[in-house]
Amino acid sequence: MSMEFANFPYLTAILLSCVVGLLVILFIPDERKMLIKWVSLVFSGITMVLSIYLFFAYDKTQGGLQFVEKVLWVESLGIYYFNAVDGFSLPMLMLTGIVLFTGVLTMWELETRVKEFFAFTFLLVAGVFGVFMSMDLFFIFVWYDVSLFPMYPLIAIWGSTRKEYGAMKLTLYLLAGSALILPGILYLFVNSGLNTFDLVALMQPGTFTPFQQKFAFILLYLGFGILAGVWPFHTWSPVGHVAAPTAVSMIHAGVLMKLGAFGVLRVAIFLCPEGWQYWAQLMAVLATCGIVYGAFVGLAQTDLKYVIGYSSVSHMGIVGLGLATVTVDGLNGAVFQMFAHGVMTALFFSAVGYIYDKTHTKMIPELGGMSRTMPIASGYFIVAALAGIGVPCLASFWAELLVFISAFKTYPIRGALAICGLVVSALFMLRVVQRTFYGEKREEFDHLPDVTFGLGIPRMILVAVIVFFGLFPSVMLDVIQVASIPFINGLP
Amino acid sequence: MKLWILFIPELYCLLMGLVFFGLAMVARPNPRRDYFVALLLGSAGVVIALASVKLEGTLFFEAYRVDLFSQVFKVMLAMGFFLVICLCTELNGIEERHHPEFYLFLTTCTLAMMMLVSSVELLTIYVALELSSYSLYILVPLRRGHGIDVEAGIKYLMVGATSSAVMLFGLSFIFGVTHTTYVVEIINVLPNVISNPAAIVGLLLTLCGFFFKLAVFPFHFWAPDVYQGAANQVTAYIASASKVAAVAIIMRMVSLVGGDSKYLVDVLVTLSIASMTLGNLVAIVQKDMKRLLAYSSISHAGYVLIGILSMSQTGYASAIFYALAYLVMNLCCFLVVVKVAQDGSDLKIAQLAGLHRRSPILAMALMLAVFGLAGIPPTIGFTGKFLVFAAAMEKGYITLVIIAMINATISLYYYILVVKAAYLMEPDVEQPRLPVSLPTKVLTGALVALMVVFGIFPHHLLEVARAAARMLL
Repeated sequence: MSMEFANFPYLTAILLSCVVGLLVILFIPDERKMLIKWVSLVFSGITMVLSIYLFFAYDKTQGGLQFVEKVLWVESLGIYYFNAVDGFSLPMLMLTGIVLFTGVLTMWELETRVKEFFAFTFLLVAGVFGVFMSMDLFFIFVWYDVSLFPMYPLIAIWGSTRKEYGAMKLTLYLLAGSALILPGILYLFVNSGLNTFDLVALMQPGTFTPFQQKFAFILLYLGFGILAGVWPFHTWSPVGHVAAPTAVSMIHAGVLMKLGAFGVLRVAIFLCPEGWQYWAQLMAVLATCGIVYGAFVGLAQTDLKYVIGYSSVSHMGIVGLGLATVTVDGLNGAVFQMFAHGVMTALFFSAVGYIYDKTHTKMIPELGGMSRTMPIASGYFIVAALAGIGVPCLASFWAELLVFISAFKTYPIRGALAICGLVVSALFMLRVVQRTFYGEKREEFDHLPDVTFGLGIPRMILVAVIVFFGLFPSVMLDVIQVASIPFINGLP
Repeated sequence: MKLWILFIPELYCLLMGLVFFGLAMVARPNPRRDYFVALLLGSAGVVIALASVKLEGTLFFEAYRVDLFSQVFKVMLAMGFFLVICLCTELNGIEERHHPEFYLFLTTCTLAMMMLVSSVELLTIYVALELSSYSLYILVPLRRGHGIDVEAGIKYLMVGATSSAVMLFGLSFIFGVTHTTYVVEIINVLPNVISNPAAIVGLLLTLCGFFFKLAVFPFHFWAPDVYQGAANQVTAYIASASKVAAVAIIMRMVSLVGGDSKYLVDVLVTLSIASMTLGNLVAIVQKDMKRLLAYSSISHAGYVLIGILSMSQTGYASAIFYALAYLVMNLCCFLVVVKVAQDGSDLKIAQLAGLHRRSPILAMALMLAVFGLAGIPPTIGFTGKFLVFAAAMEKGYITLVIIAMINATISLYYYILVVKAAYLMEPDVEQPRLPVSLPTKVLTGALVALMVVFGIFPHHLLEVARAAARMLL
């Protein structure tokens, strides 16, 4: 077997800490709930530290793929265990690490079936990490599916509102997506004639004819697009988010939807650049529809989680619009938006989760004046809402700015429409904030405790990340640019 | 080298059969003794099959060929036989005095299937096939029952006898066209005359007999009733070992045409799509676990046909891999069925409620097995599907692959219902914890390990499958 290890295998270490965490949890007896939580915290902490380390240790002057680990896995099919990071995957890895760690902390008060919950969570996250770091088509698909199926038990067992329906709908939609991805991947594998699943080898210009690229791109785009919440295949997403328990909503909206967008970028766009340029018009239309539609439907919702769910559809539309522009700024904005939206949504769900745990309602009309009963919890939600609107000094501002500037240049009409959509979404966010957190105070919630310092830690981390990248966007953009500039310049 | 060495796995099966025949003569039934004898002999059978995997040669006037292809399947059959015996600790579905007979016919059936995968002469194939079928015709109605077993037995016999007749008719056509019954010579003649309608009709009619074994549409009618009517252990055997042998012999027959034959491919594609779609759609409404597995087996017959109809080395190799994957996953499902339905009755899906508390390890094994059947990584079921689809894609059958993937998504729905029953549902009346003995735990662990480890590291197994497939061409 050929092996190639740069130095310490950091990427494998991230995967292993998820897998080992999973195995350790499986062998702890059910009753030792605190022990299980601490073990989860430690292993998720390791992944977070490693992923943040990688982000800052990446050599930006050198660029390209770094921290490469490559082992021949199945010789006859040319499958490699091939992990590496570049400017596109680093923000995603860091996002996953942060959301996992804060998610585990958010679920600290969980009491039912604790062991199974954290076991499934680690399985899910191992899959997510795997997709972000893998450079082999076979493994990308395997990890992708591994990250999907634990969603069913996670939502169906620990969820709320119509949980079984939501879980089933979500699982079937996402696996229907993978029913398109696998033929797409196999089609490229067979037609390359290289007998390899190595993404880097398949990426060489001239491997695929324009027709093959156009055909494979649409399969892969639709397949991954379902998970990215591309309109009109988004309907699983609000239902699923609403049904899921807090940490799962965080991981799901925060990270898993990015998996879809990242798959479009990593597999569809990388392998079929000509198909990308050919279908970009369609992508822009769908993305704009998503932005506007998400905003308007969000306007009509009375359930806090549905509001966030539809705002996610709208925000993921911005990612799609950025990808559709075929420009450096568009790509930068799209990847930045994936990161920013991930952190922001995690904060959203985390704040709503706390309010729901205490008041047992997430209906906007039943809440009111929460800023006086739970000032701290309300504060977290309002920060997330402001980030969602795109207020300057918060991370999403820069991402949305980049996407809209490049979209306006490439597709003026669709760009203008999308910006209108953004205004509507600002309107509905502010309305939600106004009705839920200000206005008449409810007597029945007076006795409820506010977020304690311990429970506040995960939310504080998320706020800190949003503000940090809002103030210093160049930290993020410099990394993404290392990947996006050479990629766009290399386009045929 | 003495020639009889080549025949050792079969001779061993014969010997086992004699032992059980002797036990059947003993007047006082003693299930514990029968079980341990069977367990011991069965485990030795696996060892012998493994030891003889490298043998090569021909026997009986060239009618019987021992090569890697046949030996790999013999290992799978011996494994299936042994694992089914492992499930017989609570053989409550069959009356105690019939236990030795149960083991006896299980053994003769295994013997027949071992002969089937090695036969390279049409009449030998027929004789072996009938021996295995007749053993099963007796095993199915052996169940201590309420009449449903008899109905299942008769149904099985009727459909089986009919398809045998059709098959004989087909064999006569092949003989008429090629003037020989030896597969080696047919391979030389048939590809040249495959455009001849008589040849293609003959081959298709012959395949009908094997499609019956594999429960491919439209020969699937027996499956749900027989699965439900037979004792759980017998069903496990029919669902696993018998299917594996059918895959082997279908591969042997299809490989006769040499390369591509448009007619044959068209027919196989049609049957494959029909099997998958019918099996998956009907499985959705099933309430009985064994019936659900029956329909799922019909759809899996469709998937495995995709590998076979690719008619290439990768295609055959993928089908061999798939057969093994299917064997392991299915036995894992039946392990749970047998353990949850301790009294040997049929298992309703609703009876799985609360399994995650009653026995976490069985619930986990069931979840992995059904997700494996649905083709979710990192299980062996996914790897099998992946290989099969890759082989079909190499031949450019992209529509078929997309249809198969859509089918896999549909199938996920009912597999999830099983997981939901085991993990989400709570029983109406509180059920006690299931007693899971240490050997059962070890067995469950071993099956789960097989499913996951070969799902993640398929390399060596795939190499063996490819080498075995090379023997066909």
